Amino acid sequence: MNKSRQRITNFLYNMLSLGVVMFLWYLLSNWQNSPYFPRLSEIWNAFVTLAQYGDIEGIFLSEHIWASLIRIFAGFAVACAIGIPLGLAMGLWPKLYYRTRSVIEPIRFIPPLAWIPIAIVFMVGFNRYVFLIWLGAFFPIFITTLLSVTRVNPVHVNVAKVFGASRMYIIRKIVLPSVLPDIATGMRVGLGVAWMCILAAEMIGGEMIGVGRLILKYAELLRMSEILVGMVIIGVIGFIMNEIFIMVENYVFRWRSEVSID
Amino acid sequence: MEQRKSKIQIRGLSKKFGDLVVLDQLNFDIFDGEFLCVVGPTGCGKTTFCNVVTNLLPPTEGQVTVDNEPINYRKHNISFVFQAPSCLPWRTVWDNVKIGLEIRGIPEKELRERVADVLDITGLTPYKDFFPNQISAGMKQRVAIARGFVTEPDMLLMDEPFGQLDTSTRFHIENSLIKLWERKKQTIIFVTHNLEEAVYLSERVLVLTPKPARIKQEVSITHLPHPRNIADPEFVRLRRLITDLVRWW
Repeated sequence: MNKSRQRITNFLYNMLSLGVVMFLWYLLSNWQNSPYFPRLSEIWNAFVTLAQYGDIEGIFLSEHIWASLIRIFAGFAVACAIGIPLGLAMGLWPKLYYRTRSVIEPIRFIPPLAWIPIAIVFMVGFNRYVFLIWLGAFFPIFITTLLSVTRVNPVHVNVAKVFGASRMYIIRKIVLPSVLPDIATGMRVGLGVAWMCILAAEMIGGEMIGVGRLILKYAELLRMSEILVGMVIIGVIGFIMNEIFIMVENYVFRWRSEVSID
Repeated sequence: MEQRKSKIQIRGLSKKFGDLVVLDQLNFDIFDGEFLCVVGPTGCGKTTFCNVVTNLLPPTEGQVTVDNEPINYRKHNISFVFQAPSCLPWRTVWDNVKIGLEIRGIPEKELRERVADVLDITGLTPYKDFFPNQISAGMKQRVAIARGFVTEPDMLLMDEPFGQLDTSTRFHIENSLIKLWERKKQTIIFVTHNLEEAVYLSERVLVLTPKPARIKQEVSITHLPHPRNIADPEFVRLRRLITDLVRWW
């Protein structure tokens, strides 16, 4: 089967699975007939209301989405800016890692939620969001970068070494291109975790705007339709960003036969 | 007979890993522009020999000199065609071949001419913009050979470069290699366990003993012109002679 036909088939099957899920939801919501299990039409109405008239405080859905996106990008950018160079440095000079792992490794296992009190005490405003999202996104990026450097094919390094390449040339022209696909995978995982942290971040952010905050607002009112709108928005935006990431990966790393499972 | 100039000198070369002696006091010269094959039984230390000769592994004793100077990547022009696939997957065929020239800082114009020339000889010109994942295993090995030749090295070391290829591809690439060597006349050390290949390609065959590897015998093949006929009685005789030398059972 050629590639474009495969793509169309995959798309049709995805539409079919989506249809099946929606149909099951339709059946279950009709059978339950409960305000805690809203019908698809109610979720759609909630979406339209939030988009056209805003939430209980008059904040439009687009404003919530935009605020969350900015926070995600800021936290994610800081995670990349620290995680990639640190991972590279520790991969190239493993002593750095072995001599600091007693600090790094335990921090890795502390869930971002556990940092909330510290974030509340020591930070204000935008920094709180960035800090919590950074915590979630940093480790997948850092760890994949670190591990990918240690897995660089020694034959590729030897090719350059025998020609008399300097250490800097080997880092720039052999190590970096070798590890970039793995870094991209780490970034993709990190971006997913960043989205998972948005609710925690917006819980303590202090502002009434953001998709996570929207969910929390309506959770207090037990309004399931609006909560589901918020959840679906997070899922869909995450999915779209992931797809864009895969498309960029497929183009930039077209020299790989298999780039990623998309 | 014309006296050939010694290009590479190997003196008292030994390599040990702990108590395990892999190479034991190897002493020989390789002449300028010579095609030398090194053969030996499986596991005798051929790859270690390559790594020590190119200085990727430091010798335990002895030294390798090029024009009587200790081997130095920056000073000497060395190329190594590895046994394992060694094409850089993120570089196109053209960019893979040019890497040695790029490292040596060859001017762009000369670089382009030399890469184009070697791609032409190896038949890779139509694939110059392809990435390694788009070409066959045989072509990848041709890329590695072209990359080895393009720098016009003082020493080109090839470690069983055709080990993973099928017979017809191997035969085709062997002929490309001979064509390149006849044109460029580089000094080649070709390590293989395929004895027919050794007789087909080289001017001299160096037979190693099982581990610890020493030189068992040298066999000169300068009297057989290229391209060689594998059914020629002299070819068959030499192949038999080397097979008997390598046989350890």
